[in-house]
Amino acid sequence: MIDFDPSTFGLAHTYQKEDKDEINTLSMPSAPQVIYRSLNGPTQTNGGNKLNNFKHGTTTLGFVFKEGILLAVDSRASMGSFLSSEQVRKVIEINEYLLGTMAGGAADCQYWLAYLANHCRTYELKNGSKLSVAAASKFLQGILIGYKNSGLSMGCMIAGTDLSGQHLYYIDNDGMRLKGDIFSVGSGSTYAYGVLDNYYRYDLSLDEAVELGVRAIYHATHRDTASGGVVRVYHIHQNGWTKVHDGIDVVDLHYKFAQQKGLVGDGDEAKQRLF
Amino acid sequence: MSGIFEYNGGSIVGMKGKNCIAMACDRRFGQQMSTITTNYQKVFKIQDNILLALSGLNSDIHTFYALMEKEINLYNLKENRKMKPTTFANLVASALYERRFGPFFVTPIVAGLENGKPILATYDSIGCKSDLDDFQVGGTGGNYIYGACEAFFKPDLSPEELEEVIGQSLVSGCDRDSLSGWGGVVYVLTEQKLTVKILKTKQT
Repeated sequence: MIDFDPSTFGLAHTYQKEDKDEINTLSMPSAPQVIYRSLNGPTQTNGGNKLNNFKHGTTTLGFVFKEGILLAVDSRASMGSFLSSEQVRKVIEINEYLLGTMAGGAADCQYWLAYLANHCRTYELKNGSKLSVAAASKFLQGILIGYKNSGLSMGCMIAGTDLSGQHLYYIDNDGMRLKGDIFSVGSGSTYAYGVLDNYYRYDLSLDEAVELGVRAIYHATHRDTASGGVVRVYHIHQNGWTKVHDGIDVVDLHYKFAQQKGLVGDGDEAKQRLF
Repeated sequence: MSGIFEYNGGSIVGMKGKNCIAMACDRRFGQQMSTITTNYQKVFKIQDNILLALSGLNSDIHTFYALMEKEINLYNLKENRKMKPTTFANLVASALYERRFGPFFVTPIVAGLENGKPILATYDSIGCKSDLDDFQVGGTGGNYIYGACEAFFKPDLSPEELEEVIGQSLVSGCDRDSLSGWGGVVYVLTEQKLTVKILKTKQT
């Protein structure tokens, strides 16, 4: 008999029942239930204007190259035009071989990536082997499809290493899951793509790849108001991940790059009239 | 970001000191979340002893400045004398109210020295003049700059101290506003000279 009780109908409830049986450890609180599904289509976030959607106010990028995967993110959080923080951590360390990037709703990303971490560990204990990146990202996709149109906001990249190599996936709240070599997510992604597409090669060395990631994020932070703070860089290789840079201030980068070009960097290259 | 005043972004601040006045502004010209240039002029020298700072919609900043430039030039030609800062402050209020039902989307600050005495006036977009305060702010970062001003400001500062205080207030305030920043310029006007200094700020 199919259970038509509204509080348990729908996909969302299946994720609660999962691990209630034997393993009685620090179990996660129940995943939120969607009680009411609107018939009106996707919940509008921020008036439906994607470019001004501050929930995606960020720049994150990742690309695959011969030494593995490089992830680079900014660290700014804004509420409207107010900068609430310049020190946010937008790369979430799911476990020692999987990383997730945060774009969109911070709460959504933090909760569901922690949920994914729990699931990965449980799988590892039950099955004696680690969950593949493809399976982990597909699990997350399944969850997000279950909450489709309920107003979740997530545009994250899942990057990790498993027995078949290093893989990069893009997952978003619409239920999209894409495997790819280059991704950039967030309001500053257009600026980052410009730099990334220009200099990306598969056979970059690690140092060149780090430099490229840092530059792309810097250029996005300069032009996009919703990106800024510091650049954090992670490298994923066959033995897991390494934090390459914990936080390079983009202000220092601006003046460093300007100096490399022989300029001051204070906006006066065109010698504008001051008064 | 809704609102015509938030379309371009930008912040300005004006302060009075001992026989001197200072104005500071950011240098960003943006369109909503995108930054176009980092050298946009927002403070204008109307006369040797009058500075006009404008924040709001950049199109109206330029138009309103051009209108004030025209008014003061005509005044100089007709009356064959310079305009007093208090007169100019009134002129700005009238010019804004003239467009009461189709206003300029600007919030101006006028600062000047009249016989050595500092004058500072600020307005809303339809010309309500307020000239009793020692410092005033305008623009999207205005409220954050207020906080820094209250902390750093003291009455009767010397020109060098005033330049330091206004620079710090502008930078601290703009650092919390995503629509302002990308450089800063500080103008200090005394009886003898006008000094203009470009600040090295966050470019993000």
